[in-house]
Amino acid sequence: MSFIYSKKSRYPISYLLIGCVGLLFGMTACQEDKITTAKEPYKFVAPSNFPEPTYTFYNNEITKEGFELGKKLFFDPILSVDESTSCSSCHKQSFSFADLPSNPFSIGISGLVGTRNAPSLANLAFMQEFFWDGGVTHLDFVPINAIENPVEMGEGIAAVIAKIKNAPEYPALFQAAFKTTEINMPLLMDALAQFMLLMVSNHSKYDAHLQGEANLTEQELKGLRLFDEHCEHCHAGILFTNQAYFNNGIDSVFSDSGRARISANPLDIGKFKVPSLRNVAVTAPYMHNAKFFTLEEVLEHYSDGLVNSATLASELIQANGNLGIPLSASEKEAIIAFLKTLTDHEFLNNPIFFEK
Amino acid sequence: MKNLSYVLLGLTILLFSFTACEKETSKYGQFSLEFDNKVGSDAVTLSAEGSTDYPFSTQMSQKFNLQKLGYYVSRIELTGPNGETYSDEVTTGATAAEVNGFYQVLESDANSQSITLKNVPVGTYNKITFTLGVEADYVQDGATGGVLDPANGGWLWNWDSGYIFYKMEGTSPASTRADNTFRFHIGGWKEIAGNVSLTNNVKRITLDFPTNAEVTESSDLEAHIIMNLLAVLDGHHAVDFSTTNMVMSPAAGADIAHSLEDAFMVHGIHGN
Repeated sequence: MSFIYSKKSRYPISYLLIGCVGLLFGMTACQEDKITTAKEPYKFVAPSNFPEPTYTFYNNEITKEGFELGKKLFFDPILSVDESTSCSSCHKQSFSFADLPSNPFSIGISGLVGTRNAPSLANLAFMQEFFWDGGVTHLDFVPINAIENPVEMGEGIAAVIAKIKNAPEYPALFQAAFKTTEINMPLLMDALAQFMLLMVSNHSKYDAHLQGEANLTEQELKGLRLFDEHCEHCHAGILFTNQAYFNNGIDSVFSDSGRARISANPLDIGKFKVPSLRNVAVTAPYMHNAKFFTLEEVLEHYSDGLVNSATLASELIQANGNLGIPLSASEKEAIIAFLKTLTDHEFLNNPIFFEK
Repeated sequence: MKNLSYVLLGLTILLFSFTACEKETSKYGQFSLEFDNKVGSDAVTLSAEGSTDYPFSTQMSQKFNLQKLGYYVSRIELTGPNGETYSDEVTTGATAAEVNGFYQVLESDANSQSITLKNVPVGTYNKITFTLGVEADYVQDGATGGVLDPANGGWLWNWDSGYIFYKMEGTSPASTRADNTFRFHIGGWKEIAGNVSLTNNVKRITLDFPTNAEVTESSDLEAHIIMNLLAVLDGHHAVDFSTTNMVMSPAAGADIAHSLEDAFMVHGIHGN
C-alpha cells in the first residue's frame, strides 16, 4: 500500500541532493551562518532494525524542556473539563501505556465509559495511522480526540488552551520548551508528542535474542516458529503489526463499524487496525471491544472461536472452508510463551516517564 | 538523459541561489482578492441562530437561511499570458507567524474576505489558481497554528484528522431534522493508491480574469471573486434539504465538493 500522503520518496534522491548542494552552496556564499544551538540529548533514535519513523521531527524536534512539558501535561487533569481525568488516567506505563486490565473500556469524566479498549502507546513514532479505525494520520492530532471526546475528557480545545494560559506554572514552561510566548493547540500537541515519541519499546527478551544477547527457551523458539507460520502475516515485522485493517471474526454484527467509519466502504465494516503485539502480555484485555481477558482466550478465539461475516479476513479461512487457525493446545502454549518474550521490562520501568 | 536533467536542475538552483542574494533588480507590486459570497445575484446575509426568516430559495423552491458560511483557501497562484507567475508563500508551523498562505474566509468577518498578495512580480496576469481546502502535505505536517488552530477558530476534524474546508449551515423548512437545520461540513483529503474508498475532496480551482490585470509597483488592483451558493445547491448535484441536511464526512461531502468546483468566478478586476 503506498500512501500518497507520505512525505517520503516523492522525488529521486539524486535530484534532491544536487538541488540541496546547489542551494547550500549558494546560501553559504552570501549569507551569514545561522548558528544552531546545541539541544539537550533527549534525542529520538530509531532502533536500527525498526522502520523509518513516520513522525515529522523536522517541525518538532524533541528537547528536554519539550519532553518534560509534555510529561507534565500528560499527567495533568487540567486537560479535562472537570479536572478529573488526565491522559495518564487511562494510559499507564506498567501496562505499556494501555489502561488497567480492570478497565476494559476506560473511564472518563463523571465516570463515563468509552466503547473501545485503550491502546498501548509504545512505538507511536513508527505508526502511519492511529486509533482502532485509523482515522488519525499524524500523532499531533491524536490527543485532541481524547480531550474533546464527551466521555473521555469532555473539554473543548479552546478552553484547555485558556486554562493552560492561566495556570501559573505553564507559560514559563512553554516559553522554555518552544522559545515563544504563544500558547496554542499545536504547541500543546507538540509537547505531548515529544513525550510520547520517546516511548520506544525495543528492549524485550525477543530483542535481546535478535541481538544475540539472550537465548529463547525451546518452548519460546517453538512459539516463534508457529507465530511466523500463523500470525506474522498481520502481526508483521519488528513492530508486530502490518498497520492494516482486518475483520478477525469477533462478531457477525458490528455496532462499531471500525475502518468503514473512515473509509465509508462497506467492505471495511468490522475491520480494525492490527495492533502491535509488543508488550502484549501486559495490555489485556484484547481486541477493540475488550472481548478477551487472557492470551489463552485470544488463541482459543483464533483456533476455534471465529464468527463468520461478509468481511471476515480470508487469511482466517482455511482451504477446506473451516474458519480459524488450526492449533493444538501445546502449540497455543508455545505461542503464548513466545508472546511473553515481547514484554519490555526496561520500557515498563523506565524512570524517564515517571510522574515527578 | 534523466541524470543530465538533474544536473541541469542542480546548476539552475546553484545559479538561482547566487542571483537571489545579489542586489534585487526585479520589481514588485501588490494584488488583492476580494471573496464575495452570493446566493444567485443576492448578497449573502447571515441570520441569527434559530431564525425562521428565510431570505433565499433554491431551484427546488426550498426556502432557507444561512447562519454560518466560510471556507479555507490556500496555495494561491497568479499566472499571465507572457509567462508571469506568482506563488503565494505557503508554510506551516506551530506559531501563528510560521503559518503563511492559508486563509479562512468567513462570511461573518469582512476582514477575512480580503486577501492582499505582496511581492507580486510586475507584469500582466489573467488567471488565478487556488486550492479550496488544505492539501495532504500540509495536513501531514501535523498540528498547525494560525487560522488552522482549532483553539483559534480553525476547523479541524478530530475523528478523521484533517480540516473541514467548507462550512455552510442554516435552516430550511424543508429540512426533516427536528430543528429544520442543515449543516454541510466538507472535508476529506486522503487518497490511497488503489483504494477508492477514501475521499479526497480538496479542489484545485483555476479561474480566468475577465480582463487582464496589469500589476505595477504602484498599482492597487483587486480581483472580485464571487462564490455563488446556488452553484452548490443547484449545481451538478441539486441539494434537496429534505434528504440532504447533515453532511459531515468526506464520502458524504463528495457531491457538494464536486459542485464547489464551479461555484467560484472572477467577476471583475477593479482598482482599489
